[in-house]
Amino acid sequence: MANLLWLQGGACSGNTMSFLNAEEPSAVDLVTDFGINVLWHPSLGMELGDNLQKLLRACVSGEIALDIFAFEGTVVNAPDGTGDWNRFAGRPMKEWVRELANVAQFVVALGDCATWGGIPATAPNPTDSQGLQFLKRERGGFLGPDFTAKSGLPVINIPGCPAHPDWITQILVAVATGNAGEITLDEFQRPKTFFTSFTQTGCTRNMHFAYKVSAPEFGQRKGCLFYDLGCRGPMTHSPCNRILWNRQSSKTRAGMPCLGCTEPEFPFFDLEPGTVFKTQTVMGVPKDLPAGVDQAGYIKLTGAAKAAAPAWAEEDIFVV
Amino acid sequence: MGGNKRDDPAKLLAEIAQMLEDGLETQTEPFPETVQEFSKILDELRALDRDDIKGRLVIGGFVNHPYGPDGQRCQECIYYLVHRKWCDLPELSLPVEPEWWCRLWKI
Repeated sequence: MANLLWLQGGACSGNTMSFLNAEEPSAVDLVTDFGINVLWHPSLGMELGDNLQKLLRACVSGEIALDIFAFEGTVVNAPDGTGDWNRFAGRPMKEWVRELANVAQFVVALGDCATWGGIPATAPNPTDSQGLQFLKRERGGFLGPDFTAKSGLPVINIPGCPAHPDWITQILVAVATGNAGEITLDEFQRPKTFFTSFTQTGCTRNMHFAYKVSAPEFGQRKGCLFYDLGCRGPMTHSPCNRILWNRQSSKTRAGMPCLGCTEPEFPFFDLEPGTVFKTQTVMGVPKDLPAGVDQAGYIKLTGAAKAAAPAWAEEDIFVV
Repeated sequence: MGGNKRDDPAKLLAEIAQMLEDGLETQTEPFPETVQEFSKILDELRALDRDDIKGRLVIGGFVNHPYGPDGQRCQECIYYLVHRKWCDLPELSLPVEPEWWCRLWKI
């Protein structure tokens, strides 16, 4: 039996909704098949008021063993570092987070806000928000760069806006069943099993990427979304086209550009008018190129690909 | 130009080629360095009558040869459909030759 406590800071509940929609395994499977005891969760917890405070204090004191502390949302520090803009169970949430993280065997950050601040921490960051162990790309965050949970692992980051349901439940199961040693983390403390390949890996538009055929408008089934509509699939680490959403689709498969939501810089371009859903270019060349590709190589590749492109690449082959 | 020529890309391509050959002055400068500048040109194009081919050539800055120090041309542009000899940028939607260029060039 592994005790799981899930709290929510500065957040939209998106990761809770994602978690409740998990299928492999489902939230129910966690309890019935994998021995996870949900001490409390914003949408599932039964305790209110004094009873909730008693539960949280029992976790902090060690009376109740806290195996997994899952946190969704940012740590809110405003105003003036007090955290009073996000009070919970009688005190600033940030104080609970600090004390619970210090006694937990594992700390798991769920979604962009908890991992690196996400949208709330975007400049000018009015809530003075931080992720648990990062603020955007900068290591540190609320718990500091040297924090490790009692297991010895740093915060396990599962980013996304929201994180995919099964990324959440599969990591919780791995931790709860004693398999945390098999979880290797990348430089941003993301499980490599999910965040080594790219969103583009498995994208159904890859042939259009290869032959440099663009989709200049939304709703087109032919064409790659990278060239004109700002898709960040070639430089975003996520398995969105390997572990499909709702078991059947993904943003790019549905014609929606990847927004790069599993990367620390999300949302990109400060959301300035004209920058969203538009590939940023400098003198006609994309500002952000596919990971590992330099500008000279990109230009040569484009010329060669255009010259070699077959006629079918220009047609909508999905029409039958 | 009449809209019926849309149905015959080869004929339209020949007419466009002739206009450029005859020295049609187009707005090759300024080249849009940013997305915002690019979008302003698109806005100008959208304001044109859908049959105003000449207007599209002028605002697009078309020339019938490679352009600039790097010899940029439609052939490498992301909007160019090689087999159809067609510019697929919705605001242009024109038959073009691979050796041509316009200031909405993007790779």
